[in-house]
Amino acid sequence: MPRRGLMILRLVVNGGNHEADVEPRLLLSDFLRQGLGLTGTHVGCEHGVCGACTILFDGEPARSCIMLAVQADGHAIHTIESLSPDGITLNPLQEAFRDAHGLQCGFCTPGILMTLSAFLRDNPAPSQAEVRDALSANLCRCTGYQHIVEAVTRVTRSPLR
Amino acid sequence: MILSGTFTFNGPRQKVWDLLQDPGVLAKALPGTERLTMSGPDRYEGVMKVSIGPMTAAKFDVTVTLADKQPPERFTLQIDGKGGVGFARGSAAVTLQEQGDGGTAMDYTSDVQIGGRIASVGQRLIESVSRMMMRQALEALDRELRARIDADASGS
Amino acid sequence: MSPEARYVNARVRRNEDARLLTGRARFVDDVQLPGLLHVAFVRSEHAHGRLIKVDGAAARRRPGVVAVYTFDDLGEYGRPAPVLVPPPPISGLVFHPRTHRPLASGKVRYVGEPIAMIVAESRYLAEDAVRDVIVDVDPLDAVVDLEAALTAGAARVHDDLESNAAAHVVQRKGDYAAARDRADVIVARRFTYDRGAAAALENRCVLAQWDRQAEELTIWDTTQAPIPIRNGLASRLGLSESQVRVVAPFVGGGFGPKIMMFYPEELLVPWASIRLARPIKWTEDRQENFFATTQERGQLHDAEMALTRDGRILGIRDTFLFDTGAYDPYGLTIPINTQCTLLGPYDVPNYSSEFTAVFTNKTIVTPVRGAGRQHGVFVSERLLDLAARELGIDRVEIRKRNLLGPDRFPHNHEIMFQDSAPLVYDSGDYLPALEQAAATIGYAELVRQQAQRRSGTRRVGVGIACYVEGTGIGPYEGARVTVELSGKVRVATGVGTQGQGHYTVFAQVVADVLGVSVEDVQVITGDTREFQWGTGTFASRGAAVAGSACHAAAMSVREKIVALAASVLGAEPDRLEVAGGRVSVRGAADRTISLAQLAARANPLRGAVRPGTEPGLESTAYFGPDRGSTASGVHAMIVEVDVETAMVEVKRYVVVHDCGRIINPLLVEGQIHGGVAHGLGNAFYEQLVYDEQGQLLNASFMDYLLPTATDVPPIETAHRETPSPFNPIGLKGVGEAGCIPTGAAFAQAVEDALNIEILDIPLSPDRLFRLIQQAADR
Repeated sequence: MPRRGLMILRLVVNGGNHEADVEPRLLLSDFLRQGLGLTGTHVGCEHGVCGACTILFDGEPARSCIMLAVQADGHAIHTIESLSPDGITLNPLQEAFRDAHGLQCGFCTPGILMTLSAFLRDNPAPSQAEVRDALSANLCRCTGYQHIVEAVTRVTRSPLR
Repeated sequence: MILSGTFTFNGPRQKVWDLLQDPGVLAKALPGTERLTMSGPDRYEGVMKVSIGPMTAAKFDVTVTLADKQPPERFTLQIDGKGGVGFARGSAAVTLQEQGDGGTAMDYTSDVQIGGRIASVGQRLIESVSRMMMRQALEALDRELRARIDADASGS
Repeated sequence: MSPEARYVNARVRRNEDARLLTGRARFVDDVQLPGLLHVAFVRSEHAHGRLIKVDGAAARRRPGVVAVYTFDDLGEYGRPAPVLVPPPPISGLVFHPRTHRPLASGKVRYVGEPIAMIVAESRYLAEDAVRDVIVDVDPLDAVVDLEAALTAGAARVHDDLESNAAAHVVQRKGDYAAARDRADVIVARRFTYDRGAAAALENRCVLAQWDRQAEELTIWDTTQAPIPIRNGLASRLGLSESQVRVVAPFVGGGFGPKIMMFYPEELLVPWASIRLARPIKWTEDRQENFFATTQERGQLHDAEMALTRDGRILGIRDTFLFDTGAYDPYGLTIPINTQCTLLGPYDVPNYSSEFTAVFTNKTIVTPVRGAGRQHGVFVSERLLDLAARELGIDRVEIRKRNLLGPDRFPHNHEIMFQDSAPLVYDSGDYLPALEQAAATIGYAELVRQQAQRRSGTRRVGVGIACYVEGTGIGPYEGARVTVELSGKVRVATGVGTQGQGHYTVFAQVVADVLGVSVEDVQVITGDTREFQWGTGTFASRGAAVAGSACHAAAMSVREKIVALAASVLGAEPDRLEVAGGRVSVRGAADRTISLAQLAARANPLRGAVRPGTEPGLESTAYFGPDRGSTASGVHAMIVEVDVETAMVEVKRYVVVHDCGRIINPLLVEGQIHGGVAHGLGNAFYEQLVYDEQGQLLNASFMDYLLPTATDVPPIETAHRETPSPFNPIGLKGVGEAGCIPTGAAFAQAVEDALNIEILDIPLSPDRLFRLIQQAADR
């Protein structure tokens, strides 16, 4: 029985089971960052516009800053940390970002990688316009987006239509 | 924010005037009013809950002061609302005119300064929400007016 | 044998990326400490008013609240912040320094000004308690419009001043009045150039931990200048510098405002940590950022240009107003940059520039990427375009006729730059850059097609704008280079890093000098425990100044390596090769020693050390340039305007720029892309909208629009190099270059498409629509 005012939260994060007693108003982004110490998910605006906080919710991109943790009860979350379980080996998308200089300060990068992970899974050979469209809800103030698009070119290994 | 308009009540001017001075009626008519009571001569205090955009049921403590009363023609209001999401402060002028057909035309102009979070996040919606609240309130008042007229007519 | 350049000028992948890509990189808000308390601020909802009462009693009673502080609790810590950048010694300069206190007292002067600080067990509880604090403000009329602010009878932001004028500066060169008399044509207009928030994706964050036993204070801060923060905070808090450590770990974008210091929060969070003997953290949220983090805003220019009938500039006169916000802790850097950058790459023999800085009841203004340069460029580029139209001369041609030729360097403009030295262009070659940009964008052909381009619902325009940018200013930076026992190299420097790639760029420089691979050079920035002397990352100076210090330190270590290896290997120094992490005798492969072994030899546990030698393979060097060096460039763009929706699409964007020698072209391109995106944002999408009572009406990303991936076009970049004579590698700065001429080029392009006049930036779809209507009516 959780303490008065708290709710039980049971969810799967990056393949691992977690259980916690949380306030109903606790944001999912705060639960991930402070509750689980998964600080790779970043908070840029807390109103669902910038996309830095994007995680996968049952495999689909979702903004953790405008979700309550309790909304994830019974669901599976994947954060940026799941792309590289040992924290050292880069997956092909991450490698492509490094090759293309697709990040500068890196703050928006986790959200963009999660968004692109789902997008490329469903669209393995996108056109440049489709990539830009897929990215249009993730804000980046550093790169001007061009090298991010080039990173996708590299990982899809085909010139973008 | 400047909000002005006209509204036609279906009843004589004196009755409209009386209605507008009754806090109990105003409390029911104004959307989101939890409480509105008279706290002094020509002074009302209360609590309202307003929803604007992403802010739902934002609580405001309001004080309304009437002045320049020329019954049953005109009066002015000073409004002071303060809450967790910001403040709203301003004045309004109301005039009532008898229409030939037994109705009363109300003219209102108000100038309200909005500040705090409600101004910086709800800006685009404030005017439309205010108009909507105004319309709902006036229509509710008009219904109450007609109910009272009917009650009088049936002699109760 | 001098070092071989393997990495400098190569597109090297960044050392820091693995951490950032895997989510392992530590940003300030990621730091977790046991017993951490959290802060929320009660901020003014009024832009201007008398602060009558602040009552925190109810807030203090809320469970989970540990403390509530108001101005009365601060004592001597409530004194006003220092003036960060005193103005340069320009004769006749008038400057009224008025800086902010950590918490408001007596008056509130802008929406968002901090009034009380709440410390609680969680941010959620702290924010709950914000609503418990009773704040009584007697509102005063807000000062918002720049011209109205200076009229007699306007409300005064600072009651002890006679007016809202914060400063007045005149800079002159030659005799404009005489030039005007000789002119065949005078073009005069009023221009407004508004800017906006830096809007770094990471909001500010300060975490302080006072160790009561060690009497040491550690502060994690999203600052661009850890060393001055440490020195200043130590002084303000009555501690010695050595008791205070400031760490700026990974920082998610700076762009200027993260250097403001002292932000109230930067002082109050450490102060409270000492008082409560608990670690305390404040994380700004995005809404706060729009009020509590500094920004740039508008300038209003009345400018004119006097020319001969063949388009030669005889002189320019500019009078402008500059919005400094409620206080002016950053001095006059921005408007002085405007004065200087207005001259551009042109030969301007006579110049008269006068500005008045104006206090307003809005957020404090401090430099944002470009720092006032874009305003100056907009004015001069627009005047040239208007003159071109009036004289019937082509826009590119009129520029060519006025460019300073390569034989005119160094060129002394005689007025004073922000670094207190006279504005001197050290090197540059402007004509080839202009020609290259025009050729790449297809300018000549587009001009021929102008009539066709201006017909139909979708009209196409081309714009081309030039700029010159002072970069790489002093005072100095330092670096320490150490070969460690592993054979790897460690570099420590004082500047902070917010995405510019210092961990790689400085490593490239050092790797070349010491003959190691770039991945084996570990760079530490932004930690005052690692390096204690320097200023910070701003004004496009990181590579030029800190990079040069890294170079100097590495060269000194190389000398030590060669000297020691010569002794160990028994060979003459000029026969030694330093490469592949080893030192070898040329032509004798067996006579070799690794840097790791050499490092061990350099720090013996026994034996005598010759007098005058230092242990280890380590050196510290400082670099301070004589003056800033001038970067320059040309931007060209093609826009397509839909006259029915007033939406503008940028079809092509070309940058030809010169930032001297380049350490990493991949990173330089990244800086330019980001700058151009920011510039496009300022030109068309971004504006901070205030109402007449100083309320900011669009404090969220829903209403303050940053350009997205579908708004920024692919950017074609070409590099040219005129090396700087002020540092050994020949570097100039590039961090701000991308956003400086964007507004001017954009306005010109839209004008070209629609045959209207654009004198104001930003140009929103709404305003453009009205301009189109007005033109159609005429």
